[in-house]
Amino acid sequence: MADFWGTVNNLRDQLVRSSRALTKKDAKLVSISSNDLYLKSNYQDFQRYTEVDLAIAADVEATLPSLIEASKRLVTADRKRVFEERGKKFAAAHAQALEQARTTATYAWDASPISTARLSAELWEVIKDKDWASVGGGAGRLWNVEKQYQTLLGGGAAGVGSGLPTSVGAALAHRKYGRFCVSIQNDGDFMYAPGAIWTAAHHRIPLLSVMHNNRAYHQEVMHIQRMSNRHQRGITNAGIGTKIEDPNVNYAMIARGMGIYAEGPITDPKDLGPALRRAADAVMRGEMALVDVVTQPR
Amino acid sequence: MRFILSFLFVVTVIPALKAQTPAPATSTTPAGNAQNGKKIFSNYGCYQCHGFEAQGGAGARLAPRPIAFTAFSKYVRQPTGEMPPYTSRVVSDKELADIYAFLQSIPQPPPASSIPLLSK
Repeated sequence: MADFWGTVNNLRDQLVRSSRALTKKDAKLVSISSNDLYLKSNYQDFQRYTEVDLAIAADVEATLPSLIEASKRLVTADRKRVFEERGKKFAAAHAQALEQARTTATYAWDASPISTARLSAELWEVIKDKDWASVGGGAGRLWNVEKQYQTLLGGGAAGVGSGLPTSVGAALAHRKYGRFCVSIQNDGDFMYAPGAIWTAAHHRIPLLSVMHNNRAYHQEVMHIQRMSNRHQRGITNAGIGTKIEDPNVNYAMIARGMGIYAEGPITDPKDLGPALRRAADAVMRGEMALVDVVTQPR
Repeated sequence: MRFILSFLFVVTVIPALKAQTPAPATSTTPAGNAQNGKKIFSNYGCYQCHGFEAQGGAGARLAPRPIAFTAFSKYVRQPTGEMPPYTSRVVSDKELADIYAFLQSIPQPPPASSIPLLSK
């Protein structure tokens, strides 16, 4: 591959993309998921093929309770002891991981831009005593997820632009249960369909949207930098079309313009907790609220 | 336009840069300008993966207590992971020393037990 064509077509985005089976060879795999229904929907979601023996297109939430009970009836006393021992190991590993996450969060705790760990911890403090549900963004290890409706999986393709409308739609689904919905909203994603805020305001959809504002389409920044370096071009131009600055976007102003409560940009970590609590009060009144937080890149 | 470093880049899997080992000042550690190093760290885009305080993110945590300069320099020049190599033509030895001085200047954070939100 000495020529140009050969070089370009042999350069991979990632150096390694591998997989390995975690199951025993004779294990039967059965999936229960609504993902298979996407194939006929307006919004389709194709990813790497997951090879299973039986794929059941069904509602997981409706299926799991009876499936769990049926599985429990098959558990023998010996297996039960094995499960309990395994559970103790998992609990110990969880405690250790939480402790590690807390230690990791201390680094850049008082930094500005605000660390993502600080944002996560401050937000957890606001929601932990509520019947909460995350409808966007990763909560991280500092949050204690105990119920199946408290997390929302991503779009699958790591696409940009679906986060805000997805969070509004999910918050609408949670509204009838009275749950406190929260999302960590990426700024680059926000730029694609900000009109979803107006939709939430118009339909009185309660949602706390917290901007993870690193002032960039950050996954693109890193990708461009990586490829530029690999091509020995340097990164001088990597910010073109990837950074969202000059001017910085005032997301709170945009949000207020569409009729919802908003604060920010928050740059001092000491201001974050009080701002989140005020925004949470607005959400409890049945509105959407947005807090724009200027953050570290990741 | 110069070739720039996002050099501490793509270190998601780089045990060598885990910043776990204290780095005592030795005769192999060149003198550097921490203030300039901080500026370079930001201007050259190192922060994109490692954070403005080198606390880590998409890339590894580099400070406080960075690894010894010899290992640091060797890795930047000849990385073994996904990180592209940065030769002295791209990042001068002086600039590397300044960045290292910046990493050394970052203080140890308080223990989690002293931060109310992390001690619950």
